[in-house]
Amino acid sequence: MANTACFIIVGRNDIPIYEAEVGSAAKREDAAQLHQFILHAALDVVQDLAWTTSAMFLKSVDRFNDLVVSVYVTAGHTRLMLLHDSRNEDGIKSFFQEVHELYIKILLNPLYLPGSRITSTHFDTKVRALARKYL
Amino acid sequence: MEEYPEELRTPPVSLVALFGYSELQASITKHLHSQQPPINALAFPDLSHISLLLAHDDQISQASSFRDPLSVSDSSPPVPSRCGGILKRDWLLKHRTKVPALVAAFFPSHHIFGDPNQWLQVCSDLDSLKSVIRPKNIKLVVVVVQSSPHEELSEDRLVALRKRAELDSKYVLFFNSSIDSELSVSLSRIASAFAELALAYYKEEGRRIKSRVERRSSNSPDLNVRYCFKVAVYAEFRRDWGEALKFYEDAYHSLHEMIGASTRLPAIQRLVEIKTIAEQLHFKISTLLLHGGKLIEAVTWFHQHKASYEKVVGSTEFIFLHWDWMSRQFLVFAELLETSSATVQSFSSLNQETADISLTEFEFYPAYYFQLACHYLKDKKCALELLLSTSETAQEIDSCSESITPSLYVGQFAQLCETREEKGESLTLHSITDEEYTRFTISEAKRFQDSFEIIAWLKRSYESFTNLKSRRMAALCAFEVAREYFDLADPNNAKFFFNIAASLYRQEGWVTLLWEVLGYLRECSRNLGALKDFVELSLEMVTLPVTSYDDSGNSRNKNYGPGGPATFSRRESIHREIFTLVCREAELLSSTGGSGFKLATDSPLHLEIDLVSPLRPVLLASVAFHEQIIKPHAMCSITISLLSHLPIPVEIDHLEVQFNQSTCNFVIRNSQRPLWASSSNTVESGSQVENEPSLVLVPNNWLRLTYAINSEQSGKLECLSVLAKLGPLFTISSRAESPAAMEDLSLWKHENRVESLPTKDPVLAVFGQKATQVDEPEPQVDVSLGASGPALVGEDFTMPIVVTSKGHAVYNGELKINLVDVGGGGLFSPRETEPFSLESHHVEICGIDGAEGNDESESETGNIKKIQQSFGLVSVPDLKEGESWTCKLEIKWHRPKPVMLFVSLGYLPHGSEANTQKVHIHKSLQIEGKMPLLISNRFMLPYRRDHLLLNRIKPAPDSEDMSSLPLNEKSVLVVSAKNCSEIALKLVSMSIKFDDEQGETSCLIQQGGDSPSSANLAPGEEFKKVFTVIPTTRTSKLGLGSVHLKWRRQGGNITEACVSTKHKLPEVNVEASPLVMSLNCPPYAILGEPFTCAVRICNQTQLLQEAKFAMADAQSFVLSGSHSNTVSVLPKSEHVLSYKLVPLTCGEQQLPKITLTSVRYSAEFQPSAVASSVFVFPSAPHAEKANSAAK
Repeated sequence: MANTACFIIVGRNDIPIYEAEVGSAAKREDAAQLHQFILHAALDVVQDLAWTTSAMFLKSVDRFNDLVVSVYVTAGHTRLMLLHDSRNEDGIKSFFQEVHELYIKILLNPLYLPGSRITSTHFDTKVRALARKYL
Repeated sequence: MEEYPEELRTPPVSLVALFGYSELQASITKHLHSQQPPINALAFPDLSHISLLLAHDDQISQASSFRDPLSVSDSSPPVPSRCGGILKRDWLLKHRTKVPALVAAFFPSHHIFGDPNQWLQVCSDLDSLKSVIRPKNIKLVVVVVQSSPHEELSEDRLVALRKRAELDSKYVLFFNSSIDSELSVSLSRIASAFAELALAYYKEEGRRIKSRVERRSSNSPDLNVRYCFKVAVYAEFRRDWGEALKFYEDAYHSLHEMIGASTRLPAIQRLVEIKTIAEQLHFKISTLLLHGGKLIEAVTWFHQHKASYEKVVGSTEFIFLHWDWMSRQFLVFAELLETSSATVQSFSSLNQETADISLTEFEFYPAYYFQLACHYLKDKKCALELLLSTSETAQEIDSCSESITPSLYVGQFAQLCETREEKGESLTLHSITDEEYTRFTISEAKRFQDSFEIIAWLKRSYESFTNLKSRRMAALCAFEVAREYFDLADPNNAKFFFNIAASLYRQEGWVTLLWEVLGYLRECSRNLGALKDFVELSLEMVTLPVTSYDDSGNSRNKNYGPGGPATFSRRESIHREIFTLVCREAELLSSTGGSGFKLATDSPLHLEIDLVSPLRPVLLASVAFHEQIIKPHAMCSITISLLSHLPIPVEIDHLEVQFNQSTCNFVIRNSQRPLWASSSNTVESGSQVENEPSLVLVPNNWLRLTYAINSEQSGKLECLSVLAKLGPLFTISSRAESPAAMEDLSLWKHENRVESLPTKDPVLAVFGQKATQVDEPEPQVDVSLGASGPALVGEDFTMPIVVTSKGHAVYNGELKINLVDVGGGGLFSPRETEPFSLESHHVEICGIDGAEGNDESESETGNIKKIQQSFGLVSVPDLKEGESWTCKLEIKWHRPKPVMLFVSLGYLPHGSEANTQKVHIHKSLQIEGKMPLLISNRFMLPYRRDHLLLNRIKPAPDSEDMSSLPLNEKSVLVVSAKNCSEIALKLVSMSIKFDDEQGETSCLIQQGGDSPSSANLAPGEEFKKVFTVIPTTRTSKLGLGSVHLKWRRQGGNITEACVSTKHKLPEVNVEASPLVMSLNCPPYAILGEPFTCAVRICNQTQLLQEAKFAMADAQSFVLSGSHSNTVSVLPKSEHVLSYKLVPLTCGEQQLPKITLTSVRYSAEFQPSAVASSVFVFPSAPHAEKANSAAK
């Protein structure tokens, strides 16, 4: 499991709708905002890169020292962004795919307004479990 | 990059030494410089200076305490021993500026071919030169300078010279400067020989060193690095970039192996040396890659370099050295990228090419590396500060160790000591311990201002990202810059850059980041003492949708900015801090809190919140009127709903609701709060005051307040703002918003929360407006339009307008009159141009008469009276209650047309006070404009005279319905006027007037008979008048003028002017008839009594006319005479056909019809049926007898 991993979902209007620190070393929410600064800056790269490829998984798009930003863009242009220091690309890909499925289930909820913050605790638990499994 | 020595930064250039002939040396040096590649030259005037060459190197090496047995100048085989360092600091410089690749000796030709003494001198010079350069393998060239091209050359001496110099014949050159053409040839010959020999020298030297590398003669990795470096430098001299790159990389890799293996120096200095050399090697490699255009390779190489040295931290206590080094790597690479011309064509193709690590787009921009360099420099700064704070010894260090200087070897430092030996005083370098070294580096680092560097680089990065349109990266850089300024305690600059970052985060809704930036900004404004900014920023922070309750992390963690962690509890604590600051009681003002602000009593704090303000969630005011239109003075309900996202409920002292009509402003007072002295200037004293038991804003809950207000002024009533007063000095004014047009709060709309409507009534919440329309007061004045039936075209139609006051007095009254076409076609038609209606308007207002007729007095009082053709403006005199005023409007129709008359009266009911509003009354009436009389005319030719009018038989195409009149004959014109209106009219006169002079000369019109000049015409009645017309000129178009009719309404005022109506008579064709047939017949006949009837055919031309006639039988007559025949009628004479007729039947009988055909004109004509009939009496009438009896 990675030491540092900050996972964030950015809605199509560039607003973060879900954020979680899923690293093992980092205490929860510790320095979350520093990681978010990096992830936010990486959106600039994503917005150019997303249109050059048909793949959803964009691999690592930005690098800040040891920390790498990997991005997965869904068809609805929701971006799943992960800031991590591990090199396990397959694991990250599987993580993204499973989170995407979870996200789709959230979208299917008629009470969920697309683009609004995801506050489901079930979703949160599942994402953290996936992070433990794959990262 | 500037801190590297010049020789490292630029590619090496070959060096040659010139001896003798100083007058030629300038031109030769210049020529060598211009070569491609250029050659640098050292010039010495004569051979006696030969000892200067290379001497320097030996001296230094002798003086040095670290004698290097492996220096290039030493020809002895290397002894594997403990050597002093890896690279000598001045080695590269020496080869760039001191050690030439070849020596060129210039001799005049007469020294060689002339005097034997001089020849001997040349020989000895050559020997001494050889002895100096041989051990160093420096090449030799002898140049014989000829004074003229035809000089005598001795072959023996030349051979001897070659032998003495041990040179190939091609390196003994002749130089002739006397002729220009020879000079350039000689120069180019010299240059090529020099280039060739220099290349050979560097190749040999390179090969010599390379053989050592290949032999692995020494196990010392130091030497291996050094040899590889030298080989690479020699390759660079030769411009063999590929080999240079290869050996630099070899050197780099060997060096990397030395980490941990080398034991030569104390641990810290050892690593410093290795890293310094690695840095230089890396610099060379990157430069070569970038110059070769291999951008991707260069970036990849940089990543490898970074990866391989990232973990080589060395002593953790002095980790700042490592961070400093790392930062320099990024900076130098950034500067290299910036100066390099290599660009990447397509970034999308990059990731496929590189296998192991994919490069991102930003890694090709210098800005990325600047940013990271700053990151490491910041690490260095932190590490240094930590070191200085923890270690007392470090604090004491100041610039005490100035005697430590860079030593002979790259990356090493030594202490400079004065030693007294037998020879005298000299400076020696002593190696130093790690402790001394760290003291030195700390003292150096203390002098260095890292923050300014960081700011400068980050600003470059920020600008570069801004130019690349990467706003988010730029925002990150701006944030970093601002943080650095913040650390430097420069709040002004920090604030500027924090604001840049904050605006983007605010726009994109990244709450956590915005919280962080706002926390810094808050501190900046606190440091600047800007209370308003401080309160605004704090309120913005407090109302951010931060809902995390997790407060496990200690808020003192230095990872957080001054705002602390973004949690709900932190929001609450900031909220309390702010509200205790701004809502303090007056008596507590003197004791300022810990925040360092002082609220002066005379400077109340007022915040304005508009629709785009980030403070909107603090106080959102939604105002809805319950009705869209209200009556004046009637009470109207208005609901004011307030919403706040502050984390803690807030109690409001009082609210002021402000409208565009300031008289409507009112105050809602919290009855639980003490009454403050009203300092409001927006609400007048004596205005409406409402009391509420409590005014508490609960987070995310609408506070709904409904009140009744009334407005006296008509027009738009709009709520502008709601001002909340919290404490004695703190007010927040929020712009009022309509519920129908209210936008969501940008940051809160994506949050999960219970959404409620601003008003209880859902219809009002969806369609409510903050503005309403106040009606005008009911007019109590009557305006009546006394219309009397339809109007007639041509007359001045008068329309009395009566203004009657029925309760209101009228002041400043104004009557606006407007005529509008009902059909919509307009009162004006430019297409129809009528000669008689020069006025372009079909209906126009001619004038308005006041009832009193005192126009003069009106003009004296300056009343307005403007009249246009379809618009009029009349002022109404002031009327008291019950009075009335009348005016007459005169309208004239030029065409029959229905029009709409709009009359609107505006007046002030209560005198001329400025604030009262005008009351308006509108009236309209449709008036029909009608034609009064229909005028028609008819021509009648003379009785029983038929003219052969050719035009009537064969009408010309353009004059179809034009009647023809015979020339010089008396014709009859009957004009009839029919009253087609429903009004009885009185016809005053009817006459025909010519329009022009020509008409009068060409025609003679007389009024026939003694018909009455005037007549009363009931509706539908017709009036006829007979005129005789005698045309005197033959013309195809004779204008007969027009009928002038004067009339007026019957029963009207006799003094009233008659209306004149014109009717244009049609034009007639006048022609001379060639034949005239006249019928002579008695006026009546008696049954059975024969009578004679004669038909005269009169030829009026100068020609013989042949006429055929045919007589048809009639049943009622017995006829005698020729039935048909052809007769010839002589010019200007007539032929008479005579018939005897006996009537057989009584009554009006048709005579036998005669048809005449003119052969010449092949035209047939008959007398008209009316003219050729006769009445037959049964017997002779008595009337005649009686008549004759009377006679």
